Amino acid sequence: MSFRPVLVAMLISSLPLGALAEPASDTATLTLNVSGLQPMGTISLGLFDSQSGYEASKSVTGAQQTVTGETVVVVFDDLAPGEYGIKFYHDVNGNGKLDTNPFGMPVEPFGFSNNARGQFGPAGWDKAAFTVTAGENTHALAVN
Amino acid sequence: MTLDRRLFLLSAAALPACQMMEPRIAMPDAWRLGYTNPPADGFEPAVMRKMSGRLPDAFGGTLYRNGPAQFAYGGQTAQHWFDGDGMVQAIRFEGGAAVHRGRFVATPKRKGEQAAGRFLAPGFGTEADPEYPLGSADDANAANTSVLMSGGELLALWEGGSAWRMDPDTLESRGPKIWRDDLAGMPFLAHPKREPDGTVWNLAPGGRRVGFYRINPDGTIRDFGLVDIGVAAYMHDWAMTASELIILVQPWILKRSRPPFAAHLAWEPERGLVAQVYNKNDFSLKRTVQCPPRAFYHTGSAWTDADGAIHLDVAFYDRPVLGQGGGANLIAGKYATSVDEIEPEVCLLTLPIKGDGVLRESGLQGEFLQADPRRSGLFRRHVLVLTGRAPGRPGHTGVARIDWNTGDVARFDFGPGQMVEEFLVVPKPGDMTEAAAWAVGRTLNLEARASEVHVFDLARLADGPVVTYRAPRSWPLGFHGTFVAA
Repeated sequence: MSFRPVLVAMLISSLPLGALAEPASDTATLTLNVSGLQPMGTISLGLFDSQSGYEASKSVTGAQQTVTGETVVVVFDDLAPGEYGIKFYHDVNGNGKLDTNPFGMPVEPFGFSNNARGQFGPAGWDKAAFTVTAGENTHALAVN
Repeated sequence: MTLDRRLFLLSAAALPACQMMEPRIAMPDAWRLGYTNPPADGFEPAVMRKMSGRLPDAFGGTLYRNGPAQFAYGGQTAQHWFDGDGMVQAIRFEGGAAVHRGRFVATPKRKGEQAAGRFLAPGFGTEADPEYPLGSADDANAANTSVLMSGGELLALWEGGSAWRMDPDTLESRGPKIWRDDLAGMPFLAHPKREPDGTVWNLAPGGRRVGFYRINPDGTIRDFGLVDIGVAAYMHDWAMTASELIILVQPWILKRSRPPFAAHLAWEPERGLVAQVYNKNDFSLKRTVQCPPRAFYHTGSAWTDADGAIHLDVAFYDRPVLGQGGGANLIAGKYATSVDEIEPEVCLLTLPIKGDGVLRESGLQGEFLQADPRRSGLFRRHVLVLTGRAPGRPGHTGVARIDWNTGDVARFDFGPGQMVEEFLVVPKPGDMTEAAAWAVGRTLNLEARASEVHVFDLARLADGPVVTYRAPRSWPLGFHGTFVAA
């Protein structure tokens, strides 16, 4: 299982579409389109394949991508079809962590798959989980 | 329901209290006007009609006030008075005229609930809609408690989230105030204290942990410190001397940090009230002082005497009011439960260098204390309070000035036909003596169903207003305000 973070600009200008095509028939590719970013710092994502992993923040894979535009595209290859959830944050100042205020509330943008939002904490698995099927899948994420 | 003509005339003329005896409650439900939605789009500027007197030539500036104003969506009422969306009123005094305008503070809560046409966000007494997203406390920010002028912007204040920036002229909302990147989303209490040099101090209440803000006169932040007060006491106001920050840890304890907070507050009088005195220069704890068990919402101001003892005026209740139930009843148009009738007494609390705190009771029941802003943190004799109640309805009927040196009380009562809001002390230009000040505030004239503003000469409070203006409309009862001199 691996991931290929790819900037939109790179996709459009340099990568032949064929490079992203033809996954193995029994595996899935997940393309994440992240929008609403400030062009600075890095975006960090964690991909989870179960409720227990999601709640314990034990990801099956993840990605970190420098943000140079308002949009970033991240591709995960060779996934097993099934239910997944995503947690992500935008490390705007590039210090390698999600900064919080003195009371522990994040001061940098963060979000969850399905653009789900929590109540007094992270969005729950029931709101964040989405289905990945064999072949190509796309999922849109927006920072809040 | 008939108008009481005699009462109407008396109220309109703002005659002294001695002529207002034998109150008549011509409209027993009229007080509900103070808890009625104003227009959702606010109020465009309107000239207020002068009813009596003359605006002093030297009196110029804008009275800003804030208070909850969205009480219902159709048949759905807010579950607590403290949870209605904030609406900022501005009354500008210029050239002998007074002009009013008002705007709701456009917080995410306001915008989301307006779009949905119903209440969604959690609050002091309100359960969250299960589907309402809460990324931070500012998603529930009602921005409804007070205002502060800072760095050229008007800030609408709440106590659980960010101050909300507004244009001081148009009252358009500009978004949350971020004092420093690492302090984004931190609570900014609705009772900041301004030193005579313009430095502003405030608290960030967060249960046991409380932050201190020090804001420069130009509106930039100078520093921020965090302390542990030991217990998650309910916190609405505090006190400050020239060199000390005083947190009054009242024995009204939050047992669970989840809305509706009112449901999770426990009264534990055996703890008493504990005053914690911190040094301004480094936020270190200087001393704690055990005091009798009291609940409070508001202090006046504080000073340190030559012996190091601290004195502050506080409106003390024997037990909490407006917790679960009380604040909801008002919105629902209900009054006269036993809790509603509890009145606080204006006290002078002394925190000696050694030993327990000492209460001096004024003998006056009153709330919404205000003191001379030129003497913030410094000795002064007077405190201005609201006082007087009309039977069968909430709200005050009069304003009083207590002289702590003599114990004298001067008061003016508007009578039962008016609900009185916090009055502010406005210094007269060019004269630093304590008596050289005006008092300005708003009343809700229940007979005329209109808001009025009144300016008093503080030295002759009992003589009544020197000028009264009436707006061509009413707006709900508010909490706190500020006066920005021209």
